[in-house]
Amino acid sequence: MEDVIKGFGLILEFQNILLIFGGVLIGVLVGALPGLSSPMAIALLMPFTISLDPVASISMMAALYCAGTFGGSITAILINAPGAPPAVATALDGYQMAKKGEPGRALGLAAVSSVIGGIIAIFIFLMATPLLAEIALKFGPVEYFGLSVFALSMLAAMSGKSSIRNLIAGTLGVLISTVGVHLATGVERFDFGVQELTEGIKFVPVLIGLFAMSELLNQSRTLNDAVERMNAKALRLPTIPELVALKGTILRSSGLGTFIGILPAEGSTVAAMMGYNEAKRFSKTPELFGTGHAEGIVGPEAANNAAAGGAMVPTLALGIPGSGTTALILAALVMHGFRPGPYLITETPHLVHAIFGAMLFANIGFLGIGLVGARFFSYVTFIPKRFLWPSVFVFSLIGSYAYSSAFFDVWVMLLSGIIGYFALRNGFSPAPFVMGLILGKMVEETFTQSMVIYDSNFMSFFDSGVFILFMVLTVISLSTPFWGAIRAKLKS
Amino acid sequence: MSNESNFAPEKTGAKLFHRKDLYLALVLVAFGAFVYYEADKFPPAPSILGDTINADVFPKILVVILLFLTAIIPFEFKMTPEKVAKIDKDRDQKTLPITWITIFLLLTIVFLTDFLGAVLTMFVICLLLPIVWGERNYVAVAIYALLFPAFVWFLFNQLLGLYFAPGILEVFSK
Repeated sequence: MEDVIKGFGLILEFQNILLIFGGVLIGVLVGALPGLSSPMAIALLMPFTISLDPVASISMMAALYCAGTFGGSITAILINAPGAPPAVATALDGYQMAKKGEPGRALGLAAVSSVIGGIIAIFIFLMATPLLAEIALKFGPVEYFGLSVFALSMLAAMSGKSSIRNLIAGTLGVLISTVGVHLATGVERFDFGVQELTEGIKFVPVLIGLFAMSELLNQSRTLNDAVERMNAKALRLPTIPELVALKGTILRSSGLGTFIGILPAEGSTVAAMMGYNEAKRFSKTPELFGTGHAEGIVGPEAANNAAAGGAMVPTLALGIPGSGTTALILAALVMHGFRPGPYLITETPHLVHAIFGAMLFANIGFLGIGLVGARFFSYVTFIPKRFLWPSVFVFSLIGSYAYSSAFFDVWVMLLSGIIGYFALRNGFSPAPFVMGLILGKMVEETFTQSMVIYDSNFMSFFDSGVFILFMVLTVISLSTPFWGAIRAKLKS
Repeated sequence: MSNESNFAPEKTGAKLFHRKDLYLALVLVAFGAFVYYEADKFPPAPSILGDTINADVFPKILVVILLFLTAIIPFEFKMTPEKVAKIDKDRDQKTLPITWITIFLLLTIVFLTDFLGAVLTMFVICLLLPIVWGERNYVAVAIYALLFPAFVWFLFNQLLGLYFAPGILEVFSK
C-alpha cells in the first residue's frame, strides 16, 4: 500500500501532471492524425526525455499510449480513416453511425467504452503484474530463454500481412541486436571498423527511422487523397440505460482485450478485431453490424483500450513487450536505467504504481479531452500533409541527433526509414523487427548463460519443465496462423 | 501499372513459386550468407573463459533460422494466397517518382546538415519539402519555413538546452 501511495504521490507532482497531461494530448493528437501513431510519437519523444525525471518520462509515455489508442477512433468515426490500426474495427460501425447524423453519439460511445475497458485492464494490470513477477523471479536463464523464444514466436500471430514475414523481421531484429561487442568474449561483431558500431546499433534512431521516416515516405504516395468529414461539435455521452444495455458487450470485450494484451507480442489491433467479432457473435441483432450499431463501436473500443493496459503486464513483469508500443516503452525503461522484468517490481515498485496512476489519469483525461475537444481533433486531421510531414522529419532529425549527440545516429535513422519503407511494401511490419531488436540481447544472454550451465548441451534445457512448457507454447503459436489455411485447403 | 493481382485463383495452382518473393528471398539469402561469412571470421573465445559460447555461435544460429524462414517465402502464396495477394496489391504499385525525389532530398539534406547547421537545415526542410510535394501557396510555405524552425529552436535550444550545431551560421556569431 505504501508503494501505491508513493507511486501516486510521484505523479501528483505538478510537473509530472503537466507531462502526463501533455502525453494524453499528444496521444489523442497522434492517434487522430492518420499516419502518425503512438509508437512513432514515443520513438520521437524518447530522446527528449533523457533529461527528465525517469518516472515522469515513463508515465508520460504510458499516458500517451493509452490516449493514442482512443485518438485513433476519432478519425475512424468522423472521416472513416482510422488514425491508428486498432481503430480499424471501430470505423466499421462508427463511421456508419456518423453518416446517419450521430457522430457525437458514436464518439461518446467510443470514449466511454474505451475508458471502461482501460480502467478494468489497469486494475487487472495492478493485480497481475506483481503475481507474474513473483513467478518470474523463480525463473533461471533456461526458463527465461524459453520465455523469450516463446515471445518471439508470438510474432507469427502478430497483426501484420504475413506470419512468415513477421518471423523474418523478428529474426532480423535479433540479428541486428548482435552488432557490437560480444559481452561474454569481448569480440567486436559486425562493426566493420566503424567506431560507432562497437557499442551496437542504438534503439532510438532505428525506432524513429522505422516508425516516422518510413511512414513519411509512405505518405508521399498519397499527397492528394481527399477525405470526407462529418461535423461533430462535441461528443455526446451515452445515457445510463444505453450503457446498461451495452454492459455485457463492454465487459466481455474488456476481459478479452486484457487477456489478448497480456499475451506477448499481441496488441490492440488483434484485440479490437476480436472484440468486434465477439460483440457480433453474442449480439441479438448481428445483422445490424456494419450499419452503425452501438455494439459494433463499444466492442472493439473497450477491447483495444483494455489491451493497452494488458500489454503493460508482460512488459513490466517479465521484460517481454506485450505489443509494438510497449516494446518502445521497454526500450525507454532500459534507456532510463531501469531493469525491466521481475526486478523492476521488487526494486522500484513505485515506478509500476506511477505508471498505473498515469494510465488511470490518461483514461479519465482523454474522456475529458474528448468531451470538450472532439471538434478540434476532427479539425487537426486536416493539417495538410505537405506541412505535417516536414515537421515530423524535423523532429526525427533532432530526436535522433539529440539521443547521443552523434551525427552517425541521424544516418542510422534515415537509412532505417528507407529500408523500412521498402520492407513495408514487401509485407514486413516494423513492430516484429523492433521486438526482435529489443529482445535480442536478452535472448542471447540467456542462451549463453544456459549453455554454460548445461556444458553446451542444448538437450539438457529440456530438463526444465517450464522450458518444455514454453517450447510447446512456441510450437503452438508458430503453427496457429497456418491451421486456418490448412483447414481451408482441406475443405476445398 | 497493373492493379490485377498475379495470383488470381486460376493462376495460383499453375505457378511453382512467386517471382517477386523469389527475388526477395535471394536478397535475404545473400544477406544471410554475408552475415555467416563475417561471423565465421570472429576469433574464438580465449581458453581462459572456459566453456563460454563463441561470439559467432548465436549469429550463425540466427542465420540458419533466417534461411529456413526465407526458404518458405517464394512458396508462401500457396499456403496463404489471400495474404500474399494483399502484399502484391501494394507492391504492384510502382514507387512514385515523388517518393524517389523525397528519398534523394532527405539524403541530400542529411548529407548537408553538418555544413548547414541545425537551424538552417530545419529551414531548408520546411521550405523545400512542401514545395517538392506540390504546395503552391508560397506565402504559407515561407511563413511555415520561418516560424516552425524558430519554434523548434526556441523550445529545444532555449528552453530545454539542447545543443544545436551552428554550422555555417557560426560565421555570423563571430
